[in-house]
Amino acid sequence: MRLQLTPVSLGALGALGVALGTTAPARGDGTLAMRGVYYKERATRVMQPMLDGMFDAGTHGIVTGHFLVDAITSASASSGADDSAAFTERRYEGGLGYSHELGAITLAGDAKYSTESDYESIYLGGRAQAEFGQKNTVLGLGGGISLDTISAAAAQGPSMPTLRCDATHPAATSCPLNVYAMYASASQIISRNAVIGLSVDISTLHGFQSNPYRQAIVGEALVPERHPTDRTREAFAASARYYIAPTGTTVIGAYRYYRDSWKVHAHTPELRIVQEAGSDIDASVRYRYYTQDGAFFFHNRYPPDDVAMTQYVSDDVKLSDFTGHTLEAKLGVLGDAFELGGRWAGARFEGILEYAIQHNRFGNAVIAHVALTLPFDY
Amino acid sequence: MVAPAVRYSSWFAVVIMLGIGVIGGSGCVVVRAHQRGHLAKRAMTEDRATGEARFAEHERGSREGADGGTGQPGGGCGCN
Repeated sequence: MRLQLTPVSLGALGALGVALGTTAPARGDGTLAMRGVYYKERATRVMQPMLDGMFDAGTHGIVTGHFLVDAITSASASSGADDSAAFTERRYEGGLGYSHELGAITLAGDAKYSTESDYESIYLGGRAQAEFGQKNTVLGLGGGISLDTISAAAAQGPSMPTLRCDATHPAATSCPLNVYAMYASASQIISRNAVIGLSVDISTLHGFQSNPYRQAIVGEALVPERHPTDRTREAFAASARYYIAPTGTTVIGAYRYYRDSWKVHAHTPELRIVQEAGSDIDASVRYRYYTQDGAFFFHNRYPPDDVAMTQYVSDDVKLSDFTGHTLEAKLGVLGDAFELGGRWAGARFEGILEYAIQHNRFGNAVIAHVALTLPFDY
Repeated sequence: MVAPAVRYSSWFAVVIMLGIGVIGGSGCVVVRAHQRGHLAKRAMTEDRATGEARFAEHERGSREGADGGTGQPGGGCGCN
């Protein structure tokens, strides 16, 4: 599949330019980042080009914007099912944000819109951040609402299947899913070389949370997936960064614990080591371990005559019990290293190669990024 | 019998209070602006670009049951 990105990319740049023109009367600095991502696993290939912009808006404001295309090919619409036919789909996403600094407090808001043939999402969010003790302590509080609409528009066949949104809407052409989220974060400088952070996230989901195409095995039959319509998700994370000055090495450790009302529990420890090579080059390696329990209603097969067990049925691999390992290598180089001049001297070139080992039906995955971030003033 | 919602709330209240207490209690350690050369390094602030972090969040949301917890709900996944 060939991506024709030029018109949409120019459109995104135009939209960012309009946002900039309406909010930035003064001269300022900005960055424009272009990134391409390639993802491949056994049944799915994703190509995602994206643009990210950040611009000063006056002396206390920053405008951000992004646009991306998710091109999914050779994948099954039912995401992981072995028996489904290949399909191709594109998702388009754009977002805008603004943050304003008021002394030690920063207020921010952002909006995001995403659309594809069978899924539409509108997101609105806001956050506040406060600095204490000469910026040694930073506390953050935020929240967001996501209003999504799901249909089976990508289904293959002469007619679009109906969805069972819930007990009162058993045959609808589309179903809503509303997500309400809140988070709190705190970071603290503990020495000239060390900083620690904590965060807590809580979200609640109401609405259709099944895959419109996936089917579970009940007895000898295939039955459309039926997930609960309510879910409460909670996560907390801790991280620490330490800089070893003599070697120019940064060690980053992080741990995240997650649980939800579907009885999924997950532990994610992670270690990153970033090594400077002069002032223009940095290289890093990362290892991430992931393990989770399965959802209380997930089974590989369901007995046909057990009403309690078949109240909810699922064939979703990511609701099963599994573990995974991720290894990553990353290289970042400033234009100065290539003796480039002008604004190109501050441009950052980046390459990432990631390998994910997944002990489930998805199989292992390879992810690669190439990116260029270009600073400018106006 | 304690309701699940109450158990969740209590557990997280303890975590939040403990975390804020630890961070607030360490506020006596003040590193002044001119002493923060190492802390201003890219790797010590945020070594992942916005696009990189966004893709990672989206990718994990498609593969793992514990997505979320990154400051905002997902949406637009297309792969419930």
